[in-house]
Amino acid sequence: MSETTNLNSPWKSAPKPQNVPTGTGAENGMGVEFTGKRGALFWLALKTGFFTILTLGFYRFWMKTRLRRWYWSAMRPGGHPMEYLGDPIEKLLGFFIAVVILTFYIGIVNLLLMFVSFSVFNSSVIGYVLSFAGVIPLWFYARYRARRYVLARTRWRGVRFGLEKGAWGYALRAMWYWFVTIVTLGILWPRMTFLLEKYKTDRTFFGSARLLQTGNWPMLYRATWPFVISLVLLAGTAVWTLWWDPVLADVSDASLIFPMVEDVFKGGSLEAAWLRPERLLLYPVALSGLLFGAIYYRWVSKRIMANHKLGPGVQFASALSGIRVTFIYVLGNFIAYLSLVLGLLALMLLAIVMFGGGAFLMPEGYLGADVLGNLPRWLSLGLLAVLYLTFFLMWGVLYNTFVTFPLMRHMARTTSLPAIAGLPLISQRARDEFAEAEGFAEALDLGAAI
Amino acid sequence: MSLGFDGFGSAYFDGDSPEPQEVSLHIAAGMLQIGLDDGVTLRWPVEEVRQLPDLAGKSGTVLRRTIDPLARLYVTDKTLLRHLPHLTRRAPPKGRGRLAAWAVAAVGAVAVQIFVLVPLLADNLAGFIPPEGERALGEATFGQIREALDETGLNPLEICEGADGIAAIDALVTRLSAERDFSRDVTVSVLDHKMINAFALPGGFVVLFRGLIDAAEGPDEVAAVLAHEIGHVVSSDPTRHALRSAGSIGVLGLLFGDFAGGAAVLFLTERLISAQYSQAAETGADEFAHGVLAQAGINPGALGDMFASMKAKHGDAEGVVAHFLSHPSLGQRIAASQAMVDEDIEYTPSMSDEEWTAIQQICE
Repeated sequence: MSETTNLNSPWKSAPKPQNVPTGTGAENGMGVEFTGKRGALFWLALKTGFFTILTLGFYRFWMKTRLRRWYWSAMRPGGHPMEYLGDPIEKLLGFFIAVVILTFYIGIVNLLLMFVSFSVFNSSVIGYVLSFAGVIPLWFYARYRARRYVLARTRWRGVRFGLEKGAWGYALRAMWYWFVTIVTLGILWPRMTFLLEKYKTDRTFFGSARLLQTGNWPMLYRATWPFVISLVLLAGTAVWTLWWDPVLADVSDASLIFPMVEDVFKGGSLEAAWLRPERLLLYPVALSGLLFGAIYYRWVSKRIMANHKLGPGVQFASALSGIRVTFIYVLGNFIAYLSLVLGLLALMLLAIVMFGGGAFLMPEGYLGADVLGNLPRWLSLGLLAVLYLTFFLMWGVLYNTFVTFPLMRHMARTTSLPAIAGLPLISQRARDEFAEAEGFAEALDLGAAI
Repeated sequence: MSLGFDGFGSAYFDGDSPEPQEVSLHIAAGMLQIGLDDGVTLRWPVEEVRQLPDLAGKSGTVLRRTIDPLARLYVTDKTLLRHLPHLTRRAPPKGRGRLAAWAVAAVGAVAVQIFVLVPLLADNLAGFIPPEGERALGEATFGQIREALDETGLNPLEICEGADGIAAIDALVTRLSAERDFSRDVTVSVLDHKMINAFALPGGFVVLFRGLIDAAEGPDEVAAVLAHEIGHVVSSDPTRHALRSAGSIGVLGLLFGDFAGGAAVLFLTERLISAQYSQAAETGADEFAHGVLAQAGINPGALGDMFASMKAKHGDAEGVVAHFLSHPSLGQRIAASQAMVDEDIEYTPSMSDEEWTAIQQICE
């Protein structure tokens, strides 16, 4: 299963990426520009998000389409914008189709599982586990279908991209690779990453040209070093502070820990028992390292694989920086979540004023507190609901502005095509009519990102 | 008159090859004339030219012709755009009929599911769950409800455990039970919460809220509510209801997407507590309560009295709303209850004053 065969492949033997010198001239390949300002995206996201709230969520299909159009057109390989042609109506239709199919699955199957679970096992746990397990293959299936839809609706220089059918094959492989990964305690994770990417890439077309993922899975181990080092650091810290040279002097006997912790809560001091507690700072360091390692692996493995993607006479190169991506993630998520948390805190205060009688918070009549408190109940509930949705909207808008936008920009600017000699030989491919669009992904709520 | 535009950096894509072709751009006689290097000149009527929407960046824009889904013209000279009158006009809608059909199908599927299939299946399956399974289901949902109702977010809501009060309730259940002998199948708990409500769960759990005991004007009213909830237990309404919810919640979660994970759980709790059974189930439980009360020599009108005080406090939902709430409207139920009162019989109170005091203080 590790080597998917390429039918219709133009190559007799497996091709390998060439070492092509990069330059600016046409004979030296092309770069990818990224145009478009953060401010413009912010307003587009805000406007479409606002409509989404007004329409109780139905505009989200239009919102997604418009944001994608914007992002796609901002990415310009060789100076010419990509084009996204997804149709919101098509997406809405796909959502309805998925709902029709999934309601029966989810409703009836859940009910039967619950029944069996309680009849046979006297507990709901089995039912929940099975119900969840039943959705996993659907989840992978939906992801592949969504990718197929997006590629089928993406064009560059008027030529369509495409992905061959094969969603169930993808789901089966994904589940098998996950199983193998879990059984080997994650050691074979890079194998899963590589083989799933290869499955998708080898079925991807640009016009008449089929792409090919070359390379092998052990090459992805290069991307795992920050994660592995952090894991070693965490394990080492745990051994050092708990067993080798315990931070709490008397913790050789575990039963003593709880009385000591209780002492601290009662206001007693534990200082006498600490042995160089500054070593505990290694824990947050190691945990942040793990987070960094996870992001680094995800994106650097993408970079390595991109450098091994080929088309006939076309070659890709990526100079993506794992550190830069981590920086974008951390800063962007911090901004987005900070606004969400602050918003929700303000909301809670407002709710207390409205329902709890804010008298103990503010003096009578101050800032119109009694006016708020005296609103009819339905009105105050409605107001709170609108505010709640607004904060989620702001989170989405900020996430787009400070995470998706810089990520896309960084990805675009670090990608290049060092060899493009094969481009003139490519011609258009037929349209992939795809009634259900990404309906399953939408219904199963996979569309968190763009 | 012919207008010329700067074609530098502009490109034409014929929709077949990803090779840009250099162009010269003119507008003459209502036509956008696109001159290609091989001498061919394409003529696009200006009113058929559209601009791609939501384009990022200010440098360059992409044009297309309405009747050609593939060819694209990338232009850098934006002065051209002023001469194209219908740049942003939309294409006529297509496929709306199919969309409407699937929308109706989706709504229909959800409705059939929630109102027909799930209830049908639940009603048929409820009879087959063994008692231990029912008990486990009840315990699980009781735990969830106690956690959901807790306002501090730390511990599940307290069950009141005043020993005398519990003894009084047990005595009451035994008295109501008489020959029907359901007292072993029923577990009554009081929750320390101010809500004026009571509900039944699968496996014979009957739960009263302290608020209901506080609001009652005498022990008979509490006994009547208890008898009503036991009526639900005996006909295993809560089991059906729990199975129905398990089926419906997944569907609703599917529809609402993003924030609905939490909302679905809240909704489930809400449904279980307010226990909106079918009208038939409510009427059945009322009749059961009347029978049990009368048999135990307690005034069956007490159920009506309880409803009357609820009505005085919360009003009544009549008409369409009442139908959706699926409770037969309170007025009818009060009347039905009062019709059961037999003037010739001397009813005895459901419990002694000491027992009533013990129940009132069960949470202290």
